[in-house]
Amino acid sequence: MYASLLSNRYLTSRLIPFIAIAAVALCVALVVTVVSVMSGFLDMLKSSGRLIVGDVIISSGIGGMPYTDEFLVDLKGLKDVQGATPLIDTIGLLRMPYPRGDQKEVSHVQVWAVDPISLATVTDYANDLYWRPPADAAASAAMSDEDPRKHLDIDVLNDGKTLVQSRTGAPGITLGMHVSIGNARQKDGSYLPRYGWFMPGNDVTLTVVPVSGQGKIAEPREQIFPVLNEVQTGIYEVDRNRVYIPLPEGQRLLRLDEAPLYDLNAEPGPDGRYPQIGTTPARVTKILVRAKPDVSANQLRAEVELCYAAFAKRINADNSRVASMPDFVNILTWEQQLADLIAPVEKEREMMRVLFSLIYLVCAGLILSIFWSIVVEKTRDIGILRSVGASRFGVMWIFLRYGLIIGILGSGLGVLLAWLIVRNVNAIHEAIGSDAPPVIWIGAFVLTGICALGMIYAIWRGRLLAILLWLLGTTVLGLIATGLALHHGTLIWDPSVYYFTIVPDQVDWGTARWTFLFGVVFSVIGAAIPASKAADIDPVEALRYG
Amino acid sequence: MVNHIIATHVPPIIEARGVRKTYDIGSLPVEVLKGADLTVQSGEWVAVLGSSGSGKSTLMHLMGGLDRPDDNGGEIRFDDRPISVTHGKRLDSYRNRDIGFVFQFYHLLQELNVFENAMLPGMVGNWMTGHGSARAVARESARRLLDSFGLSHRLAHKPSQLSGGERQRVAIARALVNSPRVLLADEPTGNLDTSTGAGILDLLAERHAAGLTVIMVTHDAEVAARADRIVKLVNGRVTDQALTW
Ligand SMILES: Nc1ncnc2c1ncn2[C@@H]1O[C@H](COP(=O)(O)OP(=O)(O)O)[C@@H](O)[C@H]1O
Ligand SMILES: [Mg+2]
Repeated sequence: MYASLLSNRYLTSRLIPFIAIAAVALCVALVVTVVSVMSGFLDMLKSSGRLIVGDVIISSGIGGMPYTDEFLVDLKGLKDVQGATPLIDTIGLLRMPYPRGDQKEVSHVQVWAVDPISLATVTDYANDLYWRPPADAAASAAMSDEDPRKHLDIDVLNDGKTLVQSRTGAPGITLGMHVSIGNARQKDGSYLPRYGWFMPGNDVTLTVVPVSGQGKIAEPREQIFPVLNEVQTGIYEVDRNRVYIPLPEGQRLLRLDEAPLYDLNAEPGPDGRYPQIGTTPARVTKILVRAKPDVSANQLRAEVELCYAAFAKRINADNSRVASMPDFVNILTWEQQLADLIAPVEKEREMMRVLFSLIYLVCAGLILSIFWSIVVEKTRDIGILRSVGASRFGVMWIFLRYGLIIGILGSGLGVLLAWLIVRNVNAIHEAIGSDAPPVIWIGAFVLTGICALGMIYAIWRGRLLAILLWLLGTTVLGLIATGLALHHGTLIWDPSVYYFTIVPDQVDWGTARWTFLFGVVFSVIGAAIPASKAADIDPVEALRYG
Repeated sequence: MVNHIIATHVPPIIEARGVRKTYDIGSLPVEVLKGADLTVQSGEWVAVLGSSGSGKSTLMHLMGGLDRPDDNGGEIRFDDRPISVTHGKRLDSYRNRDIGFVFQFYHLLQELNVFENAMLPGMVGNWMTGHGSARAVARESARRLLDSFGLSHRLAHKPSQLSGGERQRVAIARALVNSPRVLLADEPTGNLDTSTGAGILDLLAERHAAGLTVIMVTHDAEVAARADRIVKLVNGRVTDQALTW
């Protein structure tokens, strides 16, 4: 009872407990915020990585794999396969429709020649198509009038899903959201056309270079495609570079389509041609495989490897085939495939962990020293309490309770603060990324002026501490105000560095719980160490303090 | 004479037997008490007179269980039991209910008000024993003491708002709240002007008249003269153990 009374009085009669609460809160908020954003980032990377390339990727050399239609039948027969899709992955040049005039801009792009229907069963392709009319009246009402989606024809979406322009029947192309300069990202994450360039409906020219199995480059080929839609995977690297065309177009452009096979050992005919002895099958360079739910990518990879080996053996033993399966293909899980992307982030996270263990230590030292000074200040009180018969534990309990309350309040506030920051991290980032509104920096200058007046008053009254504090306030606020006035938006989270166009904004509650607990336990220990030291000394010794 | 004879046959309420206490000042050990003896009978008011630095406070702290004599440095006995060898709960309870201690510098808790300060030993003891009714008794006792010390209008004030005399009266109320049998007062008037000090001494006299055993140390012969018996602390020993009557 006296312990509660005293620890409550110690908490409320001084400024220093509030400083301690603020210190605990800041440390907890710092840790929870950074760990949440970092692990959100990794999660995002991993989940979107999987949605972009499926679970298992089979890739061959540049010469491609034949007979994939048959192989796909085998693959889809595996019990753990949800879907599989063939594609050709190459690089190309894309001549954009802008600017107006003869000189057009040319971008280099990664070309995926795909079967859009099966691609949608393996990746999130169909859902990633950005231009689509609003789903219902409510969604429509929520859109601004300038948003092109508001009155969009459903054909734009459907054409994107099939990669065929339904109006003309011509094969079309879809572009990653950031391939063209025409899409200006808005604060809410939507896009408005920039400089009037709304890409669907414009034509682009794609140039690719066929390469033979021996690595020889053939004549580049080009084709004009109508842009049907644009794709937003959320991974900036992909959205910046990737374009999708129909698989048969890709095969034709890259000379991976079916072709007559001539017997070069025979005598040429009267027309100078060698006799045709068959047809070489069309080829693809990659097959993406999606696992059924709850099947791990590694498990699927093992099954796919066996399946491919069996299939290649069967084909290669069959003398009636004009082409053979490559002996060596790469079969990787998405994690292995995206290792270039994931590994640096994991390294970065490890580095953050190391840095953070230092920050933890600094926080711990800070809290311990605050508690130390609190307890030292109260050593005489401990002597008084002991002299009227309070037990060591009774005295300890005052400070344990004190640390417990500071720990709970501080950690609770810290988690709350972290929650507020993390939930609004994109808005905060956006605000940092744009110029400071004049009200804010003018307001800061006004506060600076008030501090300056306070300082003049303090000088007039001759109060040294007040002069110092007002001077400090004037300087700091003045610097902040000047900084804000001169501030021109800088993007911290540059999507070209961090892959993603938005900052993860989910609190990692596991970390939050542990950090809260850590904050409380540490505050209690931080109070217990000096308190037990104080309770150990004889009352007379303690009474000599102060 | 009859009184005296009976008194010597009753065991003393509190007794110091050959107490030694050495302090290390720097690397140099200084023996402040060199075998001090002091025997006090129940109901006595004894003044220990000594010059500044003679070890009066040291002796009081030892008798109050706030400090320990040197190893093999004699013993303090209360009610015919040694307290200088006890520790833990027993010692806490000795400080809490057997004796009351008054310091020269009051030693009140700044965060508590007058009433809470006076009640503190009641709350502490209650916390140990857990008697709900004991708390009510302590409350009542604190209120009555403060009332009789003329502090009933000051209950909600903080110690910093009181004068020195008022603070010392609060400290005495605190020392008496658990109705101890012995009051140990270390220069209770040492920090006060003469008339305020006299008021404090009147208050002690009143309590003594009601049966309280009082041991008071002072360097002031006039203050000591208020006691039944005066002993002197010279060279780390108590002299003049003779009764005054
Ligand atoms: N904790 C201590 N450490 C070292 N010396 C002490 C300590 N307490 C008291 N002394 C010394 O012991 C002597 C007696 O002190 P004290 O009992 O306070 O004297 P008095 O109360 O009679 O003035 C003094 O010389 C003092 O300096
Ligand atoms: Mg003294």
